[in-house]
Amino acid sequence: MSTDKRRWKWLSAAFLAILIGVVAAACGGSDSETTTAAEDTAAADTAAADTAAAEDTAAAAGGETKIVMGFLSNCEGPFGPFWDATLAGYYTALVQYAGATPVDPADPKAGVTGAMVPGTDVPIELNTNYGCSDDKADKALAEAKRLVEQEGVNVLIGPLSGDEGIAVANYALTQPDVTFLNGISGAQDTTLKVQAPNFYRFFSDGAQWTAGLGAYAYNVLGWRTAVTIGDDYSFPYTQTAGFVSEFCSLGGTIEERIWPALGETDYSSYIAKLPKDVDGFFLDVGGTGTVQFVNQYTEVNGEDSLQGKVMGGAFISNPQIIAELGNKVKGVVAGSALPSDATTPEWEAYVAAIEAAFPDQTANAANIFLAGYYNNTVAAIKGLEAVAGNIDDAAAYHAALNGTEIETGVGPVTIDGNRNAVMDNFVVEVTDTGTKTLFVVPAVDQSFGGAFSTETPNPDRENPECVAGNPPPWAASITG
Amino acid sequence: MSANEGLKAKHVATAGPRVSWSKGTIFLLAVLAVAVLGIGIQAASDATLFAQITLNGLTLAGLYFIVASGFTLIFGLMRVVNMAHGSFYMLGGIIAFLVQERMLKPDPTSFDLPTATFGSFVLPLVIATFSVALLGLIIQQVFLRWNQGQELRQALITIAISIIVADQAVARFGGIAKEISVPIERSIELPIVGNYGTMRLVMLLVAVVVGLLLLGLITRTRFGMIVRAGVDDRQMVTALGIDIQKVFAVAFLLGAFLAGLAGVLGGSVNSVNKADDGKFLLISLVIVIVGGMGSLTGAAIGALLLGLIDSYSDVYLPDAITNYGVLLTFFLLVFVLAVRPYGLFGRPG
Repeated sequence: MSTDKRRWKWLSAAFLAILIGVVAAACGGSDSETTTAAEDTAAADTAAADTAAAEDTAAAAGGETKIVMGFLSNCEGPFGPFWDATLAGYYTALVQYAGATPVDPADPKAGVTGAMVPGTDVPIELNTNYGCSDDKADKALAEAKRLVEQEGVNVLIGPLSGDEGIAVANYALTQPDVTFLNGISGAQDTTLKVQAPNFYRFFSDGAQWTAGLGAYAYNVLGWRTAVTIGDDYSFPYTQTAGFVSEFCSLGGTIEERIWPALGETDYSSYIAKLPKDVDGFFLDVGGTGTVQFVNQYTEVNGEDSLQGKVMGGAFISNPQIIAELGNKVKGVVAGSALPSDATTPEWEAYVAAIEAAFPDQTANAANIFLAGYYNNTVAAIKGLEAVAGNIDDAAAYHAALNGTEIETGVGPVTIDGNRNAVMDNFVVEVTDTGTKTLFVVPAVDQSFGGAFSTETPNPDRENPECVAGNPPPWAASITG
Repeated sequence: MSANEGLKAKHVATAGPRVSWSKGTIFLLAVLAVAVLGIGIQAASDATLFAQITLNGLTLAGLYFIVASGFTLIFGLMRVVNMAHGSFYMLGGIIAFLVQERMLKPDPTSFDLPTATFGSFVLPLVIATFSVALLGLIIQQVFLRWNQGQELRQALITIAISIIVADQAVARFGGIAKEISVPIERSIELPIVGNYGTMRLVMLLVAVVVGLLLLGLITRTRFGMIVRAGVDDRQMVTALGIDIQKVFAVAFLLGAFLAGLAGVLGGSVNSVNKADDGKFLLISLVIVIVGGMGSLTGAAIGALLLGLIDSYSDVYLPDAITNYGVLLTFFLLVFVLAVRPYGLFGRPG
C-alpha cells in the first residue's frame, strides 16, 4: 500500500512537471503571428483594467447606466476560421470612431483600450469575456445570455451565423433594455420575421447578397434550368431564396434543391447526384465546406469545370476561401455585399481604417465577416454619440439608432423599418488577383424588390416556390 | 427464493435475449430488405449514379477502416477507450500538410497552387505517420501505462489530450480546410462510373493492403497470437509470463500509426479540417461497437456499412431529409446492439 502511495506521489509529481513544461513551452513558443491564450487573457485583462480606470476618472457625463459592450462570434465550428476577422471588424470601428488604441496591432485578440463615446468623456467598457459560439443556435443563445445576464453587457455586437441570429433576435425580445446589433448573421427571418425592436442589422441579409445573380444567370449566361446546393440551415435558405426568386421570376426553373448537412466533409455523393442536364447550379455550401466541395467537384469534373457552370453565394468570393482554392474558382461569378477591387474614396478610407488599427487584417477588407462586425459596431458608436452616452433610456438610444446613417466602405448605409440595412450589392467574378466587380445593384432592400414580406413563407428547403413573373426592378437592366 | 425459483428466473433471463434476438433479427432483415429493394429500384433507374456512389461508399469505408482498425486494436486489447484517436487522425493530416507546405513553398500572391512531386507527397506522409505513431507511444507510456485497468481514468486523460490538441490545432493551424497536394492525376476514367478521383481509389487500395497486413500480423505472428489471446483474456496472458506491457505499447504505436496514415490520406482526398478529430473519433466508436471490440473483420464490416449508408443516404433519401442521413448510422448502432450486444464479431472479454 505504502509503495503504491509512494508511486502515486512520484507519478503525480512527474505529471505536474510535464504539465508545467507543456504550458511553459506553449507560452514560450509564441511568435509574432500567434499569441497564446495566456497572453490574450493578460492583454485582455490589461485592456479591461485600463477601461475600468478610465471609467473611474470620467465624470458620468452620460447617464447612470454604464455602457458595457460585448462581442459574440464563432471561435469554433465551420466559421471558427473567421474569429480574428470578426474581432478585427469590431475593434477597427472602436479605434476609428471611439478613439480606442489597439493593444497589439498584429493581433485583434489582444483588444483595445480607452474607448469613449465620441464627443464626450463617457467610457465604453469593453467586456473581454468574448461570447464564443460554434454556429449552433443553442450555443449562441447561451453565450448571449451569459454576456447579458452575468457579464452585464447592455450593447451586444453579434452573432455570426444564420440560426444563431434568429435565436439571439428572439432572445432580444425578452431583454428590451439591452441593445443588440447583429454581427454578420444573414438569415432573413432574423429581422423580417422576428421583429425585435431592439435588434439591429446594419448590413444586408443573405438574400440581398444575391441581388443580380438570377438575372445574370438568365439574361447573360442564358441559363434556363438550375439546381441549388447549400448547407441545411437558415442562412443558405436565405441566400438560395434570393437566387431562386430572381431567377424564377424571369422564367427560369429550379430542377432540384439539395441540402447537405452543415459540417459534411465528403460531398462526393452529392456531387454525383447533381443533375448533368441543367444549365448550372447555385452553390452555397459554406465555411470550410466550400474548400472541400470545390476540391471534390473539380477532382471529378476538371480544374476549370466551375467556370460558367456555377454561381456562388457569400462564401466562394471570400478572400480566405479563394486563397485556398486558387485557379479552381477562377471565373466563378458570385454575389457579394463588398467589392474587393473598389477604388472609391469610401472604400479607401475603410481600408485605411483597418490598416491603421490592424495592418495584417487589411487583406480581409473585402471579407464580409470583418465588414459586418465593423458596420454594426460603427452604428452602435454613432447611436451612443447621438444620445451623448446616456443609455438610461433604452428607447431613446433605439430611436437614435433607427435614424443613424453610417459611413462604410461601400458608402452611406441606413436601415429600413425592420432595422435591416439597405445596401448596394455587387456581382463579382473571381480573377487572378481576387474579385472583379461586374456590376452593382444599387440600394437593395430586404423586400428584394417586393418578393419578400412579413407575409411570405420563411425561406426553407422548399420556399420560396419557383414562380415566374414580377421580376425585381433591377433585373431588366442586367443584360449581356 | 427457492432453488427452483432461482432456476426458473435464470431460464427467463436467458430466454429473454433469445426472444428479442429473433424478433430483432426479423425486424432488421425486414428493414434491410426494404432498403435493398429501394436502392435496387433506384440503381436500375441510373446505373452510373449507383456505381459512382457505391464506389464513394467503398472508398470512404476504406478510410474509416484504416482509422477504426487501430482503434479496435487498442480498445479490444487494452480496454482503453482512446478518446484522442480522432486527434491522431487530425494531427496526421496537419503534420503532413505543414511539412508539404515547407517543401513546396507556395507563393501566397499566386493563384497557381503548387503540385506535389512523388517525394513531396511521400516524405510528408512518412514524417506525419511516424510522428503520430511516436506521439501515441509517448502518450501510452507517460499517461496510460500507469493507469492500466482504470478505464474511466484513462478515458478522461485521453479526452484531456484531445481537447489540448484540438485547441492548439486551431491556434496554430487555423480553421480553414487545406488540401494535401498529390503527385498523381486527380481523376481517372473508369468504365460505367466515368471520371473518378484517383486518390480515392488509392485510399481504398491502401485500406485493403492495411487490412491484409493486419490480418497477417494478427493470425500468422506470435505478436498476433498474444494480441488475440489478450483480447479474450488479458489476465491469463499475463499469468503465462508474457510481458503484456510490451504488447500494449506496440498496439498503441500501431493504432496511432494507422490513425496518422488515415489522416494523411483523408487530407489529400477530403482536405485537412481541424474539426475532423471529433468526427473520426465518433466514426471509430460506432464502427467498433457495430463490428465488435478487437475484431478486424468487425471493423471492416462496420466501416463498410457506415461508408455505404453515408453515401446512399446522401443520394437516395428525399432532398428534404438528407440532413437526417446521419441518423441512419445510429439506427444501425441500435439494431446491432439489440441483436448482438457485443457487436457483430465481438465476444465477451
